[in-house]
Amino acid sequence: MAKRKEKMSPYYESVHRAGRIWTLGALGVLLGVPVAICLRFNAWPEMDAVFKALVKVLPIYWGTAVIEVLTYTPMLGAGGTYLAFVTGNITNLKMPCALNALENAKTRAGREEGEVISTISIGVSAITTTVIITAGVLLFAPFLGTLTDPDSVFSPAFTYILPALFGALGAGYLRKHWRLSILPVVAGVVVLLFSPTMAVGTLLFVTLVVSIGGALLMLKLKWV
Amino acid sequence: MDFKESGFMYAIAACVIGFVVIESVYFIVKAWRAGRKLGISKETLKNTVVSSAVFSIAPALSILTTVIVLASALGIVLPWIRLSVIGNLAYETVASESMLEVMGSSLSTPITEPKQFGAVAWVMTLGTSFALVLVPIFCKGIHRRVGKVVNKSEKNSKMADVLSAAAFIGIIAAFIARAIYGKTADGVGDAGFMSIATLITAVIASFLLELLCEKCRLQKLQPFAMPLAMFLAMGMAVLLTQVVPEQIRAFTWWNQM
Repeated sequence: MAKRKEKMSPYYESVHRAGRIWTLGALGVLLGVPVAICLRFNAWPEMDAVFKALVKVLPIYWGTAVIEVLTYTPMLGAGGTYLAFVTGNITNLKMPCALNALENAKTRAGREEGEVISTISIGVSAITTTVIITAGVLLFAPFLGTLTDPDSVFSPAFTYILPALFGALGAGYLRKHWRLSILPVVAGVVVLLFSPTMAVGTLLFVTLVVSIGGALLMLKLKWV
Repeated sequence: MDFKESGFMYAIAACVIGFVVIESVYFIVKAWRAGRKLGISKETLKNTVVSSAVFSIAPALSILTTVIVLASALGIVLPWIRLSVIGNLAYETVASESMLEVMGSSLSTPITEPKQFGAVAWVMTLGTSFALVLVPIFCKGIHRRVGKVVNKSEKNSKMADVLSAAAFIGIIAAFIARAIYGKTADGVGDAGFMSIATLITAVIASFLLELLCEKCRLQKLQPFAMPLAMFLAMGMAVLLTQVVPEQIRAFTWWNQM
């Protein structure tokens, strides 16, 4: 006999329904951009040239997309996932932003409270980013070019933004869960010793699996 | 007028950005109402809004930098559109560079042909749109499974806490490992003295700010401790570039030979 699926709460059901509609809408909007450009400027590209470029990037991008959907969905919650995948910049912005908000609100992904906090955090982050990029494009583009120019005094701040971001975010966890933290960081470094340019989306999958596997082992051995 | 920055392109940008903002507002309002029903205090929800906005400023400036970098070849509007919806710092640069390479050009040369421009727009779009196909298909199933695991582990609170922390740490560990021993495709920001010094500064600043909040009971500062630590670490990167001798600050694992 077929197993009956457990019913989700009405809130979750409505989030998934709305999320699917918005995501498919976003896909339409996204594909509409090159179509509109080609129609307006009568500039349909040669398909074999596009295909040549796609062959180089698709295996990486589509492979990473599968890993990202599997990795981020449990961390971001339903609403957060639908929103984050449409608004982009997940690894370097939406995901750490949601983790920080969950930590501040003292809840976790997978709980309904966590779902709410994660969604609000990602939504606010998307709007803030949009406002900053829009203001930058319309008002500060010439000025920002000078600010972030490799010769600018402020350029290192942007070059090393990821160590700054994840160091600050990781500190709280390192302090509270130092036993859990050692294994995934060491695993990440060991993988990079053999493949230093590995894409972060792939490396992240490795460290996540090692971290959860290590935590289960430590629980069994009563080390944590 | 340059076709890449024509009124038509700005109109497309307005539509795309409008879509992103309306979707974000829709989900925020929906989540806020659900949060209030669940009994989450207004203060917690407001703190989430403010700290998320503050948190996003520096990474958003970094994204804006990519828009500016891509603007030299593609004009300002297409990168603006791409990085407002689904876009990603690394993807957009690599996708456009790949297409331009096939056409015998590069990101350092402005595009003058609409056909080239259309081709780049197609490669950027098709490269990154696959996730939007996967999410509507798999998100609900993954979410249902996660819910079951969480419900099971909620019965064992300690296990739930440990696994939740381990998942967070697993993600953060990848970036910490890259700051310790990672190499970037273009060689900018490779791991070495500067990346490790910035990482350590961020960790120490975050520790100290957390400690300050706890000892002095500065609960209102708590949500800003993390973004503040990030800004301090970015400031340290600027300072070190000014005061540390070139041969030390330029050290990376890849240029020591």
